[in-house]
This record gives sequence, C-alpha cells and structure tokens, in this order.
Amino acid sequence: MLRSIGQWLDQRWPFSSLTRLTLEEEIPGGARFAYTLGSGTLIVFLLQAVTGIMQLFFYVPATDYAYDSISFLRTKVPFGWLIHGLHYWGANLMVVLVVLHICRVFLWGAYKRPRELTWLGGTALFLTVMAFSFTGGPLHWDQRGYWAGEVGTSIAGTAPVVGDLMKRILRGGEEMGPLTLSRFFVVHTAILPPALISLFLFHIIAMRRFGSVGPWTEAKREPKGPFWPDQVFKDAITGTAVFLLLVGLAAYLPPSYSGPADPLDTSYVPKPEWNFLFLYQALKYFQGALEPVGTMGVPAVLVLLLVLLPFIDRNPERNPFRRPVAVFCAFVLAAVITWLTIAGYRSKGFAQPGVKAKPQTSLVTRHGKDYIDIVLSVLTPETARAAEVPSALEKGAAPGAEDPDIKKMSGPPGIAAYSIGNAERGAALFRKHCSQCHGPEGVNKNPNPGSNDGKIPDLNPIDREIYSDNPDVFASHIDHFIQHGSVPEGANPVIRMPAFGDTNTLTQPQVSNIEAYILHLNGIDRAKIMNPGMRPRSFFGLLAAAYGLAALWIGGLWRRKRL
Amino acid sequence: MDETNNKDSVTTRRKFIAILVGFMASVNALALGVPFIRTLVSASGGRREEAWTRVGELGSFPAGEPMEARFATLTVEAYQHKSVLNSAWVVKKSDTEVTVFSPICTHLGCHYAWNVETGHFECPCHASVFAPDGSVLSGPAPRPLDTLPVKTENGVLFVRWERFRTGSPNKIIV
Repeated sequence: MLRSIGQWLDQRWPFSSLTRLTLEEEIPGGARFAYTLGSGTLIVFLLQAVTGIMQLFFYVPATDYAYDSISFLRTKVPFGWLIHGLHYWGANLMVVLVVLHICRVFLWGAYKRPRELTWLGGTALFLTVMAFSFTGGPLHWDQRGYWAGEVGTSIAGTAPVVGDLMKRILRGGEEMGPLTLSRFFVVHTAILPPALISLFLFHIIAMRRFGSVGPWTEAKREPKGPFWPDQVFKDAITGTAVFLLLVGLAAYLPPSYSGPADPLDTSYVPKPEWNFLFLYQALKYFQGALEPVGTMGVPAVLVLLLVLLPFIDRNPERNPFRRPVAVFCAFVLAAVITWLTIAGYRSKGFAQPGVKAKPQTSLVTRHGKDYIDIVLSVLTPETARAAEVPSALEKGAAPGAEDPDIKKMSGPPGIAAYSIGNAERGAALFRKHCSQCHGPEGVNKNPNPGSNDGKIPDLNPIDREIYSDNPDVFASHIDHFIQHGSVPEGANPVIRMPAFGDTNTLTQPQVSNIEAYILHLNGIDRAKIMNPGMRPRSFFGLLAAAYGLAALWIGGLWRRKRL
Repeated sequence: MDETNNKDSVTTRRKFIAILVGFMASVNALALGVPFIRTLVSASGGRREEAWTRVGELGSFPAGEPMEARFATLTVEAYQHKSVLNSAWVVKKSDTEVTVFSPICTHLGCHYAWNVETGHFECPCHASVFAPDGSVLSGPAPRPLDTLPVKTENGVLFVRWERFRTGSPNKIIV
C-alpha cells in the first residue's frame, strides 16, 4: 500500500531521483568531522528559523511592547525560555561556526580554482549572518540591543558623503525610534531569511558542481567515501552535539535581562555584540579626520580581502604547509582580529560622537530634562541627609504630599512595574537615590521622628504585606511607592518618600531596575520563570540522559558486562 | 567492525549508521517538537491575581431596581497592562444585601439587558430570560447568571472582575 502510494507520487514528482542526487556524493578520502562545520552551520540556521518563527507568535515589534513581549515569552509561556535561549545562543554559535568553517576552507585551500564561486557565495553568506546578528540585537529593545543599534547606525553615519543618508535609511529617521525597530524587524525576519536561503542554494550547488575538495595530499584522496551515510552520520553527530550544547546554554546560562531600553541613561556604556567588537576597537585608532578610515575603510578592506582571496592567491597548491605566505598572512589577520576583540571586550568603551541621549518618553521634554537636573541636584546625598529637618525635599519633589490619599498607596502602578529590570543597574541606582534613607542594601537604621514607626521602613527584609513570591505582584506593590511617593502614617513625619516616578526623577526603566534590585534583596528573582513547561535544567537533564543511555547502549557496555 | 564477513558487514554497517542517524534525528525532533507544540497549545500567562475594583458608593444604587455599573479594571492580557472599561449589573435589595451579576449571558456570551416593563433580564441574541435573582426563566441559557465576588468597605462597593466559560451548565472561571 505505502509502496504503491510512493510509486504513484514518484512517477509524478522526482522524489527518489532528487534524494539520490542529494545523497549520492563521493568524498575523496572519505567522511571527516572537519567537513561537518558547514552542515553544522546549516543545522543551526534551521534551528534559528524554527525558533525565530516561534518567537514571532509572541513578539511585538513596537517600542512599547518589544521588551515586555519577550519577557512574557521567557517567563510565562511554556518552553518560552527554550525558544528564546536557543535563538539567542544559536545566533552566537552560528557566527562561531561560520568563522570556523571559513578557517577550515582556507586551510584546505578549497577556495581555489575552480571553486571560486563557492567561496564567493560563502562570503555573501558570512556577511548575511553578520547582518542577521546586527539586526537581531536591537529587536529586544533592551539596553544592550538599543545601544548596540544606536552605535552601529552611528558608525554607518560617519561614512563620507553617504553617511547621513545611510544612517537615516537604517533608522527610518534621524533618531532611534519606532521606525528603527520596524526596519530592523523587517530586515531580520523578511529580507535576510530568503536572502540566506537563496545564497545557501547557490553555495551548495556551486560546491556540488566540483564536489568536496578532499585531503590535500594525493595519497590520502583514495579510497573515496560516500556522503550517505558516512558523512551524514558525522554531520548528525556534530549537529546533535551542537543542539545539546545550545539546550545546555539555554538552561544554564540564560541570556541576561539588561533592562528596558532607556535612551536617557547616559551612564550605560554602549558596546556592540562580541562579533563586531574588533571593528569597534579598530575604530579607536582612527580619530578625527581619519575616522571614516576606521568606520568604513577597515570593514571594506576586510570584505574586499575575502571577496578577492581566490583571485589574489592563484597558487594551485592546497597543502597549507606549502603555502607559508598565505597561511602566515591569514594567521596574522586572525591574531589581530582576536586581539582587537579581546581589547574591545575589556575596554571601558568610549563616547561615540554621534551618540547623544534623546528623550524618548513624552514626559521628558527639553524642559523635563532641566527639571530632572534640578531634582537630581536636590537629591544629592548632602541635601538628602539634611532632610531630617523638614526641607525643600518633600515640598519640591513630592507635589502630591498634601493629598491625603497619598498616605495610602495611591494611583495605579506605572509601566515600570511590569518590565523586568536589571538588578545590577538597580543596585547602582539604589546606592545613588535610595540608600541615604533606606540604608545600604535596604538594611536601615535611620529614624523618622513623627511617624508611627519612628523609623524609615526597612526594605531588606521588606514589609510582609508588600512582599510576594510572585515577582509581578511584588514589583507592582513597590512601584506604588517609587512612582507616587508616600507620607508615613503618624502625626507629623519628618521624612517623606518623594515621588520618583511622578516627578521624572527616575525614568521608568530605572524604576524597573530598582524594583528588580529590591526583589533581589528579598530573595526573589524578578525574571523568575513562572510557567516553564518544564524546568530548564530538568529538560536538559532528560535530553542528556536520553543520549547518555543511547551512547551506553550503542557502545555495547552492557554487552561487555555480560561477557 | 567485524571484517570477516565483508559483504554482509558493509550492508549492516550502512543500515546501522542509518538507524543511528534516524535515532538522532527523531530524538532532536522530539526534543524540539514536543516543547514547541506545548508552547502553542498550552495556556500561557503567569499566576493571575485580580484586584478589587471600586464600583461606586453603595448609596448611589437604587434598592430593588437592577442598575448597570461601569468601572475601569486594570487588566493583564499577556504583556499588556491596561485599564479596560467593564460593566456589571448591580442588584441591591438592601444596604447589606447586594448581588453583582457579570453582564455576560451564560449561553453564548452576549450582553443582556434589563427590561423595565417585564422586570426580567433579557438576552437579545437567543432570547434567554432571567429573573432579577439571576435564575433562568426561559430560553437556552444553561445556568443562572454569574455572580461576581463583592465586598463593601466604608459604604463603597468593590467587585472582582471575573469571566466564566459560556455554554456550560457549571460556573467555571476562565
């Protein structure tokens, strides 16, 4: 029955000849693990496609919701942590695999005549992967992605003549904003994927035209080995190892929450993704008039070098030991790029000339910014300590103080309560804005005469009525106080909590960060996975156990025991 | 590999490898497929904690006559947190005895209305008719009108907004 259906289909569409065409390939010298880097990249790409589509079910490419929709996916959708973790780590691993694949092809001399087009297709694929990496980060609209996008587009803006135009096209305007996010989104999800698939087909067809290049020594080129099943087996092992590695990374090293994008936060040191760090670092050596050399010249030279390699290096010799010049040059280049990457990683960052904080929220206009400066100056530690005597603090910073309702929690929580902040940034903000009254790390001994408690409330441990093991609820409880301030109950409390949100003393992302920190002080992870489907580590353990048992069984250990 | 029986070992080796590749492909497909189907099929969202919403002063509702009250509820839909206008029918017998009905017909989720002339709640969609106490008088409605949790504090009426499955004989919260 199945057989006849198969025959019926095959007569009408060439399934079996296509399968044969795909699988029947003779590899000189037989299958090798070294050849699995290309297929490993393909497997990761397929994984990226699947996890990318899964994310599209939840992700919203709008500045208001991008960050929160990803947080929702990661904490409240079954296996959302897996989908996002695989996509995040897959993106990083894909760059690694592509680079390793390029190194392998270079060492084997596989770019040489007649395989130039395979190499050129591969170069285009490499650039596409880098474009994926560049456009993917800002889609989070978190601090890391926002600033990586800001720096990247600013760099494009330094190009001579066309720089401004390029920057405007990339951003959809002069500044980073909703249109920038839409553009990055469309490029990442609608333009690059079909481009990559087309280039892959070009690459693989060009490769199959002349087949695998095989070992460079003539003696090792015989006997030939079949692609199926030998090479496929090795590809499957590499692919599975890569998959296990990615699940492990997603389970044990989930991507960190860098907090919602905050264009006003000038203290954030923007850095590009690690795979662009060498360009970022190289830029530092070209200042002033030479800047376009760094921003445009260096990448252009590198791309040209890749494109022209098969035409510059026309020596037919493939043995890396017999082409010392080419291998030496490549080694120097790799060393320089590695060194620049490490230096870039360790550097403190530098102010990009095109980068300036732009008010994003409607609350903060130019006036608003001046107001913030005034409020910040009021809240410097010296004046805040002087607040033990009734001072301008509460009159200036808490306009709602006269309102009797503010004694209780008043007003709805602000938008900050629902965004997952970064506890580390929150700690720094806490030291600056909160610890004068609430004490370092929220452990407090400061008195507050005139209030019923007689002291400023402890935040660590916090009041049990405010505490909740549900991070959303906990954060929204604290949020009332940070947004709207409060007047402690009592006859005439000397110290009152200023309304940090209502007065724009803190931006909403900053409030989120502080909330994440206060939750952390009380032992609650703001990014706790509420609806995991299966606990990340259990899932990885289960998968690892399945392969472990299979390996034992195939390895025949149980059989040896019997003997 | 056993080299003694060359012809056989070649074919079994091919088969063996094919089985291994198939095994890895199936385990990986399962490890992705099962979670991803769960992602799309299972309910997403965290633990919900609906808050009490202020409906109005108890004194402002007429005794005996049902009255539709509108109130803004802070709702959470996935990653959206916003204030949504909801309504409910408040039936006050006395200042201590108040019932609040969800405005959604238990049959298929239409909004019913109070008919002053007949003194009944009537659903315009499929002509279900309910008594002022919520019980079904006629029509296809499978259960009485759904009551919402109520509390009064200092003469102010609060409700907790909830939704229930329609078309079911039992009141099941969704």
